[in-house]
Amino acid sequence: MILLWLLIIPLAAGPLAFFLQRRPAMEAVNLVAFAALLFLAAMLGFQVLQSGPVSLWDGFLYADALSALIVLLTAFVALVCSIYAVGYFRHDERSGAFQEEGDEDGVLAGHKLRKYYALTPLFVFAMVLVALANNLGVLWVAIEGTTLASVFLVTFYGRDTSLEAAWKYAIIGSVGLSMALFGTILTYYSAHQMLGTETLSGLNWSVLAGNAAQLDKPTMRLAFILILLGYGTKAGIAPMHTWKPDAYSEAPVPVAAVLAAGVLNCALYGLVRFYILTSKCLGPEFSSQLLIAFGLLSMGVAVPFILVQRSFRRLLAYSSIDHGGIMLLALGFGGPLGILGMLLHMTFHSITKPLLFFCAGNVQQHLKTDLFRKAKGGLIHSMPFSGAAFLMATLAVTGSPPFSLFQSEFTILRAAFGGGHILAAVLFVAFLVAIFSGFLVHIANLVLGPDPGVPPAEICPWKKYSLVGLGTVIVILGFWIPAPLYSLIESATSVVVNGR
Amino acid sequence: MSFIHDPEFGNRIITLMAALVLVLQIATAGQRWLISTIRLFALQSFLLASIAGIIAYFNQASHLYVAALLTLILKAWLLPLLLERLVEKVGIRQEIEPLINVPLSILISGCLTLVGYVVAESFYHPEETSVRAALGHNTLAVAISLFLIGFFTMLNRRKAVTQVLGLLFLENGLFLAAISLTYGMPMVVELGIFFDVLVAVMVLGILVFRISETFDSMDVSKLRKLRG
Repeated sequence: MILLWLLIIPLAAGPLAFFLQRRPAMEAVNLVAFAALLFLAAMLGFQVLQSGPVSLWDGFLYADALSALIVLLTAFVALVCSIYAVGYFRHDERSGAFQEEGDEDGVLAGHKLRKYYALTPLFVFAMVLVALANNLGVLWVAIEGTTLASVFLVTFYGRDTSLEAAWKYAIIGSVGLSMALFGTILTYYSAHQMLGTETLSGLNWSVLAGNAAQLDKPTMRLAFILILLGYGTKAGIAPMHTWKPDAYSEAPVPVAAVLAAGVLNCALYGLVRFYILTSKCLGPEFSSQLLIAFGLLSMGVAVPFILVQRSFRRLLAYSSIDHGGIMLLALGFGGPLGILGMLLHMTFHSITKPLLFFCAGNVQQHLKTDLFRKAKGGLIHSMPFSGAAFLMATLAVTGSPPFSLFQSEFTILRAAFGGGHILAAVLFVAFLVAIFSGFLVHIANLVLGPDPGVPPAEICPWKKYSLVGLGTVIVILGFWIPAPLYSLIESATSVVVNGR
Repeated sequence: MSFIHDPEFGNRIITLMAALVLVLQIATAGQRWLISTIRLFALQSFLLASIAGIIAYFNQASHLYVAALLTLILKAWLLPLLLERLVEKVGIRQEIEPLINVPLSILISGCLTLVGYVVAESFYHPEETSVRAALGHNTLAVAISLFLIGFFTMLNRRKAVTQVLGLLFLENGLFLAAISLTYGMPMVVELGIFFDVLVAVMVLGILVFRISETFDSMDVSKLRKLRG
């Protein structure tokens, strides 16, 4: 039943917000829905830990530890983003960012808010369905659903640049996903030969995982390449990453944060499911070489763009490409340690990344630009809260100790040396150091320095407490991981390593 | 009238129709009128629906009838209608000069077909003599070619509507692969994919309309403000 509620709540919240129309009501619907979602996701986590995988409707919905972890992270990201969104959009409204010509009474502005509050729950619904679908075909449908639900969130501000970003996002995403669909069809084909039935269960994860060794090998090889390209496009892995900086910098900040911290996980989740099948069928070497190559390429592509970046919103997108690469790399190193490193990294990244987006959003709303050149530095004087948080988030995201991403990156490095991938490990560290220094120099120049005389920003409680709350969680996580969360990650690791 | 029940006969018809589908696909490479491209797409979808129906009939795969019917309604009628409306509304009827000229485009499409056959060859198990193996082999090659040519169309053309059409051609290739390899996906997945395609065309259609309003053009190569 818990699985059903996890889907019904966001699915119902969208239309509800659409019909309520008034801003406080829409805000409340979103907040309550996502809080309930997080609560249920935590319940699901406990249930999976205690009594193993849960399924519903004859195995149509299925949740093991890996799905439970993804649902938990999605719900967390959705909740913190909806809290921040309240302050963010109120600020937008006050400063007239919604104003268009010929819209004196704010009707169009109301439409925009309504669009955000109605589409975001549907967007989250699609992400939860990605994690809970047992059938790999339904998983594909849900991932395509995340793209379709979020296209009009990217065009939120209606600028011509946001149209351009949304167009790239939709077209590149759909083409990429068509490759993933081809991979899914081929997987079904190779299972079809083995099972010889035309039933629904032929694409069910719970059936495939048990019989993966008998899948047709040449077919699975092609299928995995297509899946990697397809879901890799959705995750923004180089060289299919070109939509990412545009979409992240044009979308409103809460949407961009959900894209970076939520959708990335969902796309990688789809990839991981097929990785498990492929490594059972073909042995781990085949997939691991591909994953290491694409992982290193993504990190490598991110480096120059981070070093010479002119806009801090786009900087965050390249950081996201880098982290996607790190997770692929960890998956490629494989073994219990590599997988553990990947899932830890996914968890910590999802918790840390939104803070960085929120700080960038605050700065952009205050300065009305996202270019370093126009910002002139010294933000700590006009925005003491956001400036300090921005520095902290930067340190956390680039993986400096004591923050938690350091632990996961260190685990991944151990996996690399343990698996004998010396060259990859050296490149991994080199890229990390380059990105760390580039990122930190940019943000330090932005935040520190003499007072340029910008008037101080007022910060509303919604924004303030979302920064403080999330920052506290991040600091605590650096020193202490709650035991249930860690055991959930551990059992998710064993799902990936052992296939159940 | 025994041949009506002979799967061998069904296979021949399907192979013939798959060849026609391929011919239509290559014809789009030389097509510059948007309306004609849309009609070619409708015709191709109609052929695909018939193929699905024939496979369903000869192999007693009754759930494929649903897929055939949906293809007929959605891809052969509704989507072309929506796209034609869109083209009329936007008021652009002809594709500007493609990046690669027409004869060369057709030649490249031919080469991509060859690639499709080479890739499909690797799935061919000569020891399997069953009807399905023979059916899969030929149509899979066509399906991969459709996929690749659709991809090429999207790269080669600059009008937003043509790119949407390229995506739909891609999707047709996938549909052909699914029905010929596995007699279609499971029903739920099939319905989900149809739903996604419909929503995707509507979303992209709205985007195309807004792009043409904002930029006074549907030329996506003019979308180049965001870089770096």
